[in-house]
Amino acid sequence: MTIFLQSLISGILVGGVYALIGIGLTIIFGVMRVINFAHGDLLMVGMYGTFYLFTLFNIDPFISIVITMPLMFLYGGFLQKVFINRIIGSLPQNQILLTIGMGLVMSNGIMLAFTSDYKILSTTYSSSSFDILGISISTPLLISFAITAGITAVLYWFLLKTDTGQAIRATAQDREAAQLMGINVKRMSIIAFGLGASLAGTAGALISPTYYIFPQVGSTFTLKAFVITVLGGMGSIVGATLGGILIGVAESIGGVYFGSGWKEVVVFVLFLLVLLFKPSGLMGKSNA
Amino acid sequence: MFGKIQATALALILALPMAAQAAKVKIGFVNSITGPEAPIGENLTNGVTLALEDLKKKGIDVELVKEDDTGKPEKSMAAFEKMATRDKVAGIVGPYSSKCANAIAKLAEKYKTPLLIPVASKEEITRQSLKWTFRLSATTYDYATILLDMATSLGKPKTIAIINENTDFGTSGAKSAKDYAGKKGIRVVAEEAYAPGSPDYRSTLTKIKSKKPDLVFMVSYVADAILLMRQSREIGITPQAFLGAGAGFATVSFAKEKAISNNVFSSTQWTGDVNWPGAKDFNARYIAKFGKEPTYHAATAYESMMIMAETAAKAGGNQEKIRGALKGGKWNGIMGEVKFADYEGYTNQNKHQMLVEQIQNGIHQTVYPPKYVSKKPVYPFPGWK
Repeated sequence: MTIFLQSLISGILVGGVYALIGIGLTIIFGVMRVINFAHGDLLMVGMYGTFYLFTLFNIDPFISIVITMPLMFLYGGFLQKVFINRIIGSLPQNQILLTIGMGLVMSNGIMLAFTSDYKILSTTYSSSSFDILGISISTPLLISFAITAGITAVLYWFLLKTDTGQAIRATAQDREAAQLMGINVKRMSIIAFGLGASLAGTAGALISPTYYIFPQVGSTFTLKAFVITVLGGMGSIVGATLGGILIGVAESIGGVYFGSGWKEVVVFVLFLLVLLFKPSGLMGKSNA
Repeated sequence: MFGKIQATALALILALPMAAQAAKVKIGFVNSITGPEAPIGENLTNGVTLALEDLKKKGIDVELVKEDDTGKPEKSMAAFEKMATRDKVAGIVGPYSSKCANAIAKLAEKYKTPLLIPVASKEEITRQSLKWTFRLSATTYDYATILLDMATSLGKPKTIAIINENTDFGTSGAKSAKDYAGKKGIRVVAEEAYAPGSPDYRSTLTKIKSKKPDLVFMVSYVADAILLMRQSREIGITPQAFLGAGAGFATVSFAKEKAISNNVFSSTQWTGDVNWPGAKDFNARYIAKFGKEPTYHAATAYESMMIMAETAAKAGGNQEKIRGALKGGKWNGIMGEVKFADYEGYTNQNKHQMLVEQIQNGIHQTVYPPKYVSKKPVYPFPGWK
């Protein structure tokens, strides 16, 4: 029972960060209909930012997100304005090639600048944990989960209550109609990509005290983000939140009951089952 | 008439080494220069760089053909084919990882190009009766045996948990550990193979903790070693000893993480303070040149390049001759005595003496076998700070 609870709780905590990665990707997809294959690389850029803020200026990774978030927002907005806006509405394969290319430039650029060495960010609490009824809870993971929950809540509020948030949702629902209603869809796209990038960067910052950092780290997370987004329903933020936590838990429990080598299989079987019974994803609406 | 032949022979004998020394040799080098194993690959590259300097001092000018396999077997194979056919190299040194080395071992046979594998340890690589493939390093079986020999000489472990990544090196290491544990009467209570690169091993480690193993044996590349130990600390696993089979546990970045690396044992092919000829000097030169400590990967790559280039130069680049000279030769350098022998199903395998090092306050110290000890081992594991 302890083992089950332990894996459930670690799964939920890790899943929280997955959710953040998935939400970023789903916002970008929702607004632009572009699958961002550079998403993991944005996360990697966030990790490097966090690492250097910590080693050079001694800023705690969890506090550094107040710097990383706006910077990543600007970076994402820049990428959207300069590159992605040009290919909205063009062939999907061109969009895929563009985002993959952007990811390659990022990872190889970082490798050129900082070498391929693994970077380990060790804070005083990096491997600390506390015990509740025999279940060990990782301190950094718990903090990052709390921050994720906070960010997600603010994001909901922003998208539901503010004018800009509503404009973004309108653009996501129907780009042309939104444009006819006087919404500047190009601007909304910039904001959406900025948001997506800043969420990816934040996720990077949040996992950097417990994970390791290297230029190619992004690819693992791109795939994960993609699975989470499709599982949750493409474009659905609630779906991405659910999907992230579900994947975290499936990995964790699959690792224990089927063996660690099988946990990916468990995740993908779950993924296939969802697609089989609900092709639009958990929270997705099937649109014609 | 006879005198003439004698004179010619004498002239030839005198001229040959001269000719060999003056001649350029073309040697191929495959390595993981980019990709997930790049941090270890860098050690191999640096080792080879030092070897080229020393070869030059000996009058051997090596033209190095360098190829990056990014840690992928198919790229390794392509690199081998290119070097063997287009570049027409005399011999090839590399690649780093077991999966790549295993993939190209048979190509050496096909192209009749001598291949010297510096460090890839999967047992099967030299167990396929391949005539053109040579291996300098010990095998994963030796990684496991030396660690378990040490553990049983220091304590009385009864149970062992094995965690490995599901790669060629990882599974081969785990299998060896399981076999040898059986021979030593140590019961395997948990076996976990994981896919590398996952951020969370906590559930696996919790399962292992519940089995209360005396020994925890791990086979992992670079950064997963750090994650495994970090999360072991979180979960609070306290066996008699943590045994790391080389790779990630032997790296400098792992040792630097003092909170989690302290007292972890690691089997290794080489240490900076071992008394093999030139080893200490190599260590010092490496630190001076690259600003960090070399790992055993650097030493094996250095020695492999030295052996391959010298042999190739002496044989004037003739591949059949190089193979013969590798097979019959004997060396004594920074990796100790090297001889490519056939034994216990192995072909062209150097019977290399493994060492065990323990990280004590951020520094790898040689602690086993007694003949090579620099510091006393700390056993059993004193618990987490």
